[in-house]
Amino acid sequence: MTIDSATMRHLSEAQVSVELETEDMTLNIGPQHPSTHGVLRLVAKIDGERAYDVQPVIGYMHRGYEKICEVRSYPQITTIVNRIDWVSGYANEIPFIVAAEKLMEVEVPPRAQYIRLVLTEMARISSHLVFMASYPLELGAATPLFFALRERERVLELLESVTGGRFHPNFNRIGGVKPAAGAGPTQKKTTQDLPSDFLSETMDAMEHMFKICDELEDLVAGNEIILARTRGVGKVPVEVAAAYGLSGPNLRASGAAFDLRKIEHYLPYDDFEFDVVTGTNGDCWDRWYCRLQEIRESAKIIQQAIDGIPSGDLQAKVPKMIKVPKGETYVRAENPKGEMGYYLVSDGNLGPYRLKIRSASFSNLSILPWALEGVLVPDIIAIMGSLDFVLGDVDR
Amino acid sequence: MSSSPSETEAAVETEPQAHPLQEYADEVAGAVGGTAEVQFDTIKVSVSNDSWVDAHLTARDRFGLVFFSWLSAIDWSNQVEVGDPLSDEVEERLELLSALGDITEGRMVTLSTDLDPETPVIPSLVEVYAGANWHEREAHEMFGIDFLGHPNLAHLYLPDGFLGHPLRKSFPLLTREVKPWPGKVDVEAMPEKPSKDEPSTENPES
Amino acid sequence: MIELLTDLFSNFWISLAGKLALVALMIPLIGMALGFAEIKLSAKMQARVGPYFAGGRWGWAQLIADGIKFFQKEDIIPAAADRPVFKMAPMLVLVSTVALLVVIPFGPGLIFQDLSVGIFYALAISSLSTIGILMAGWSSGNKYSLIGGLRAAGQLIAYELPLVLAVVGSVIMAGTMSMSGIVEAQIEAGFPYVIFQFVGFGIFIVAALAELTRIPFDMPIAESELVMGYLTEYSGFRFLFFFLAEFANMFTLSAIAVTLFLGGYWLPGIPESALELAGPAILLGKVFLLAFVMIWFRWTFPRFREDQLQTLAWKWLIPLALVNIAVTGILKVVL
Repeated sequence: MTIDSATMRHLSEAQVSVELETEDMTLNIGPQHPSTHGVLRLVAKIDGERAYDVQPVIGYMHRGYEKICEVRSYPQITTIVNRIDWVSGYANEIPFIVAAEKLMEVEVPPRAQYIRLVLTEMARISSHLVFMASYPLELGAATPLFFALRERERVLELLESVTGGRFHPNFNRIGGVKPAAGAGPTQKKTTQDLPSDFLSETMDAMEHMFKICDELEDLVAGNEIILARTRGVGKVPVEVAAAYGLSGPNLRASGAAFDLRKIEHYLPYDDFEFDVVTGTNGDCWDRWYCRLQEIRESAKIIQQAIDGIPSGDLQAKVPKMIKVPKGETYVRAENPKGEMGYYLVSDGNLGPYRLKIRSASFSNLSILPWALEGVLVPDIIAIMGSLDFVLGDVDR
Repeated sequence: MSSSPSETEAAVETEPQAHPLQEYADEVAGAVGGTAEVQFDTIKVSVSNDSWVDAHLTARDRFGLVFFSWLSAIDWSNQVEVGDPLSDEVEERLELLSALGDITEGRMVTLSTDLDPETPVIPSLVEVYAGANWHEREAHEMFGIDFLGHPNLAHLYLPDGFLGHPLRKSFPLLTREVKPWPGKVDVEAMPEKPSKDEPSTENPES
Repeated sequence: MIELLTDLFSNFWISLAGKLALVALMIPLIGMALGFAEIKLSAKMQARVGPYFAGGRWGWAQLIADGIKFFQKEDIIPAAADRPVFKMAPMLVLVSTVALLVVIPFGPGLIFQDLSVGIFYALAISSLSTIGILMAGWSSGNKYSLIGGLRAAGQLIAYELPLVLAVVGSVIMAGTMSMSGIVEAQIEAGFPYVIFQFVGFGIFIVAALAELTRIPFDMPIAESELVMGYLTEYSGFRFLFFFLAEFANMFTLSAIAVTLFLGGYWLPGIPESALELAGPAILLGKVFLLAFVMIWFRWTFPRFREDQLQTLAWKWLIPLALVNIAVTGILKVVL
């Protein structure tokens, strides 16, 4: 009796399908998990090492800020928006305060604008350094964490010396910035300004930051395994990125030279020279590298700003009781995580009628079901981490 | 050193007609069949319910507004449970907003449509912008808007079985019910100092 | 007195008991020494101080304190666990480590049991821990543990082959499989085999890292993915057993590498008569050198992905090891 090859194959396949009847496993990653940056939960269907249908479950940190803001006055809201993306709390205040100032038609003194700009860029550096710290850890390398966080500490100390807060500075006032408490050369309230050695120390810190960037690049970018783990992993084409609303370094890594600092004039970025860093492939590696380069660009901006910081008032004339006139506006800013914007609807009262908070991480994270389709389990973590989200920024 | 910071801040125009963005806004509004309004550098194009999806298609394909920024709603209501009421009477409606942008020049357009607050129904944008998925889920649970054709209108933030739509103006903020804001009642009374006669204040239950 | 001791130890059972006690003492000592080295070295590499207070200077008593703490902890066994298997797994892993110590020559004649198939025995026993890990992963009743256990099994199977093949070169050169025989052959030849067997040595170290499931091959544990892999549900002294086994395994595998490739307890220039005393110290020195390299790797590299690990084993290490064997065999015949 002879069996032709087709039958043979059929038989063997039949046998295999009986033997290897497998069942997909549903794996709950989070909400308590070492690499979900807080309380994100992923429900992944996995077949061996491959994941299908990964659904993020969010909302564990929803604090209802949009609702709370409706019962808060404008100066109180800056306190709340600090806590949206706590890794770069300072940067969250800017678009909100600019939106309120826009409706009030207040002109902010140049010195206050420069201080805002310097501190925003510092917040960006500290946020990116957290990414520099956490991302290699997600790939299994623990050491870069300590180098990056050590440098971040220095930036946070400078931020603290001005604002009094490391994470939640709450430093902006409508029409300017809060005079640094007791830090100026005299005790007169009108002349209280930046701490006396802040400018020179920031200059040094930024000079040092270039060295740190080189060191991080040596440590991480020179590592073959990191390259093998990130190159070509989690590629996001620019059209997909835009449709999902990816912004900031995640969008630029995909190749779009789109930086709101160059487009929106919410702070005097036009005065400075800096490059918009873009990637080419939109993979995890590009997202990492874009952020590293952005630290360098931010350090450059800070140095230029400190060189050219104008003197003058810190606060424009605003009424004691701040009422924002009727109107609607959307102000967006380039935050470390991406586009952060506030759609402010005012009815001329002490507080907004409605404040829509557009946070970067929410949109950045919404691409996960698309990006994680059919990837390996280790890549789930690699891709998720490369999006650099903060759960407070997702859930608001 | 191209421009001074004061110039960048002073982009506010009082006359909407004279606004530099007005021309572009009118162009978009003409193409999508709506009316344009420019307020404080923000372009808002109001369209009808029926042309909601088509307007997005046009904006995406003709104007290159490929970047889906956000989608949300405003509850225009004369009776509010929280916050200050509106100063003028308005037509009660849910205003659905979606913000679109391009990723080259930085143009941004907010499309808006009015929905009936009783039965707000609108076709979903998921087919046009994949990113609308989560935003529509958020708007669904926060405002109770039904998006037809949405693949998964499950709760995003709120627990399953949550009743009501928190961002509606008719939804009370429960903490404010318990403790009005602002006011002197907000300050909690200091715990009374234990006097020498009453040493047992540490454990009042016992 | 000495006669009495010699008499005493000539008794089979008493000498066995003595050897057992020695081995039992060595495991925690080695585990603690290497564990402490890891803690302090990693701190140094990461610009930290590391343990500082326990025991006064340098925190030398940190691991002793940790060990005591582990024993005080509640022994938690998950409700969904397969209890007997769950309890047995850490023992099995530790036993396989203990059994490995038996064939390592610490000096001329200083060996617990000089088997004629020493290296064969060592490689066979070292794969026993795989079963223990698989048992731990399976019995925990946790999905992370299960994935970790299966990853461990896949990984250890893939790296068992290069490990065995890498050894063959040295065995061919020495002409014996006895561990002390290989060292003696190196003494006779006057050079450590690594000079000709550098390929085998490299493969052995890589495969040993994979066997140890240390970074860059720590996918079975993979904290950022699998929480703690097969160890997720372990706590208290059962976790301590795994912990000890990891470091003791690091010691034994390094010791095997030293024996096979680096001349074991022998160092050129030291007279053979002195080896009896200096041998253990030389061996320990070499082992700690290798252990240092492993610790260095761990705190420098991230981990591979599962498929990259398999690719490395099957497409690179195994063919390379086979070529190494062929070349060694030909040279042995020709020369």
